[in-house]
Amino acid sequence: MPEIIVDHLTHTFGKGTPDALTVLDDINLTFESGSFNAIVGTSGCGKSTLLKMMAGLFDPSDGRMTLDGDVIRGTDRRRGMVFQQDAVFPWMTVAKNISYGPRLRGAGRAEQREIEAKWTEMVGLKGFEDRWPRELSGGMRKRVDIGRVYANDPDVLLMDEPFGALDAQTKERMQSDLLAAWAQSRKTVVFVTHDLEEAIFLADRIVVMSARPGRIRHIEQVSLPRPRTDEMRLTDEFIQVKRRLWEMLDH
Amino acid sequence: MPTWNTLGSRRLLLGVLSVATVFAAYVWVTNLPDNNPALLPPIRDIVTSFFTNLTDGNLITALGASLFRIGMGFLIGTTLALVLGCLIGWYQTMEYIFDPLIEAVRPIPPLAYIPIIIIWFGIGEFSRVLIITIACFMVCVVNVIAGMKNVPQVYVDAASTMGATRFQVFRTVAVPAATPFIITGYRIALAAAWTTLVASELLAAQNGLGFLLQEGRRYFLTDQVMMIIIIIGACAFIMDRIFRKIQARLMQWSEARE
Repeated sequence: MPEIIVDHLTHTFGKGTPDALTVLDDINLTFESGSFNAIVGTSGCGKSTLLKMMAGLFDPSDGRMTLDGDVIRGTDRRRGMVFQQDAVFPWMTVAKNISYGPRLRGAGRAEQREIEAKWTEMVGLKGFEDRWPRELSGGMRKRVDIGRVYANDPDVLLMDEPFGALDAQTKERMQSDLLAAWAQSRKTVVFVTHDLEEAIFLADRIVVMSARPGRIRHIEQVSLPRPRTDEMRLTDEFIQVKRRLWEMLDH
Repeated sequence: MPTWNTLGSRRLLLGVLSVATVFAAYVWVTNLPDNNPALLPPIRDIVTSFFTNLTDGNLITALGASLFRIGMGFLIGTTLALVLGCLIGWYQTMEYIFDPLIEAVRPIPPLAYIPIIIIWFGIGEFSRVLIITIACFMVCVVNVIAGMKNVPQVYVDAASTMGATRFQVFRTVAVPAATPFIITGYRIALAAAWTTLVASELLAAQNGLGFLLQEGRRYFLTDQVMMIIIIIGACAFIMDRIFRKIQARLMQWSEARE
């Protein structure tokens, strides 16, 4: 069942002015409920812009997007987002960050505790509940970020190069842990990255975009079985897919 | 490699040494045979003046009056600055209305209002508190606005995508994210309160630390003038230290806490 439909979406910054810049040109996409999707492309292809519009952070100049048939306008809790930058609130402890969303909706103390316990454990931060974010490493803060979005129970998870700032080892661990969490909840994920290996390892389906203006060049179905393991990264099949996608990117 | 602790004690040692050197130089100069004590009173005269004013109640009365003015002016000024600054910094309509006014008034030193305030309200207690209030408000509101405008966009976006309303973002993200700026605003306001307090009391007061300064000048009681200057310095220093403690508590979460 398609959950998100992107319908003839075009976005032009400064539309109607001499400096108008079209960053997305006639994008049509559907994202199935419970699927893991990646969007790849070199910088400037508008993939982050597309994701932010899906979150409702700003509106497209033409075309529209729907979530379960409702037109997306403005942000709401149904579409959670993890950003590339560190978005953990430094003035809240790990636990308070995790239960931020439920607290917005007036969750009681007991419910907050329960959510905090569940999700700090789930993202591997048990024992760090009362720490300040400044006391954590970049990778751990990213875990808080992801736990916080999960604890808010959105329908769709939008991830904008969430592991872009992490070192290679941490990044691979985070990818495996993200898949483990996803396997339990099966939320629809749209994951933007410029890292092909990351996209292939995580996703069922990869949207390859070309740049200036951003257009869809190709959609790849990834047939690697689940659960995915780190060894798969070195299989011939994995590398063949990577090579094929690499040749499609603008270099 | 020096540990934090030895660095700390080195700092303390040099700090004590520098104060002691200035003190020793003053003692040395005032003991020179051709020193004029009416210009540079010896330490013992300053100490005597302190005890005389303390025992006859002059100093306590003056200190009480001055601290009351500072307290009132600081409290009213910073509270107004906090409320208005948050609204101006967060809501664009408020900014468009108030920003031109604040920008127009900001370069005017608060002391410039003293004559007009005296003309309108006389030289009573109200006028003195009003001047301090204006000074505290002006320096504080600018910082509060800056704090609200410097809230990182990613925090706002994160809260919004978790379903926070615009007001919830304001309350749970913008205000806490702006606290470092707000606290700085409060500290600068405190310093401004002292500056304007003395000025307002020099011009128009029957009591207070500024009045004792003025009295000392009029009757050539240089030791009294020196003594009051030291008292003011000590009071402002202690208040700033208390403020830093509060700041350290409120800013436990921040990397840049003092």
